Amino acid sequence: MLRHCTISELLEVRDGEGTATARAHVEQCEACGAELDRLHQRVAALRALPRHSPPRDRWPAVREAFVSARRRRRWSYTSWAGLAAAAGLVLFVGVNTPPRPAVAASAPEEIASLVEESQQLERVLHSYNRQGRVVNGVTAAAIAELEDRIAVVDVGIDRAQLQAAPHEAVADLWRRRVTLMDRLVNTHVQPVTYVGY
Amino acid sequence: MAQVTAAALDELAIQRAKGGDLAALERVYRAYEGTVYGVAHRICRTPEEAEEVLQETFLEVCRSIKRFRGSAPGSLTAWIKRVASSKALIRIRREKYRDTEVLEEDSGWAGRRDGDVGLRMDLEAALAQLSETSRAVVWLHDVEGYTHEEIAEQMGKTVSFSKSQLSRAHARLRMMLGEEAGC
Repeated sequence: MLRHCTISELLEVRDGEGTATARAHVEQCEACGAELDRLHQRVAALRALPRHSPPRDRWPAVREAFVSARRRRRWSYTSWAGLAAAAGLVLFVGVNTPPRPAVAASAPEEIASLVEESQQLERVLHSYNRQGRVVNGVTAAAIAELEDRIAVVDVGIDRAQLQAAPHEAVADLWRRRVTLMDRLVNTHVQPVTYVGY
Repeated sequence: MAQVTAAALDELAIQRAKGGDLAALERVYRAYEGTVYGVAHRICRTPEEAEEVLQETFLEVCRSIKRFRGSAPGSLTAWIKRVASSKALIRIRREKYRDTEVLEEDSGWAGRRDGDVGLRMDLEAALAQLSETSRAVVWLHDVEGYTHEEIAEQMGKTVSFSKSQLSRAHARLRMMLGEEAGC
């Protein structure tokens, strides 16, 4: 080997994957041997970096979100006939929802509207036979991810209401909930169309 | 609740956690919160995002632990860390973080080259300067012990991508730390 090793080659040598030529070169070349030593030292220093601890106790929020999600899952009941109705309603909502007015509604009105929209999506979801459906791994992971995020938003809504947070903050949380619920419904009803977020 | 270490989690506690017992799930949380936050903190951009990953990870753990079948020592740790890294990587993709670092071409010698600027930066600061993707790869591979295959699978990328990110991360770290070659 007529040249010194690249970092890629040194990493391969370190990981036992390097070519025989590269390994031989590192053994014979003082500079590349020293570079490999520095690589080991750098990694040792990375491993020795202090571990950060979470600044706040998040267990109460996790527990709240988990209990909330578990309660929501228990609500669901099975009805194969609900599939068609759910799909129809999603299409109806999607096609017939009027565009938002140019002039923004006041925050309390918007919150009420968002709550209604969220409840409507919940009803769609509950009319759909979720537990009787078989979904692929990607869809199941997407559903789980969305349910987690909804549960986290729910905790935020509960807290915002308890703390009498500003209307705009509450409205923002409900907007996020409606968006996530909409994606969740679509992922259940049309799993192949859900490609990410 | 007193600090619980992962080693102190007995089989009974794990079985109770699988049954949805909230007190047992809290024990799992206490045992692994530091581990999970540590991984999330290294991958995410801000402590707040790391906290969100911590929360999302344990929500997933609470929900899915009933399906956890591992029995080998360390398998619960490995599973929880995998959930954490996966959540953190999803967050990187979701937020569409911009990788703003100037990437080094890996075409030359690993040692000193003309133009290298020895900034002699603190390792912690240098790590923070890497792109989220590079930092995630170097941390997961060199510190947490993931293989390139595992990282590629979690990131939805190729093994070559993972290897290339690792090389770039080391090239950047080496430059920022002002490390000098032997000759």
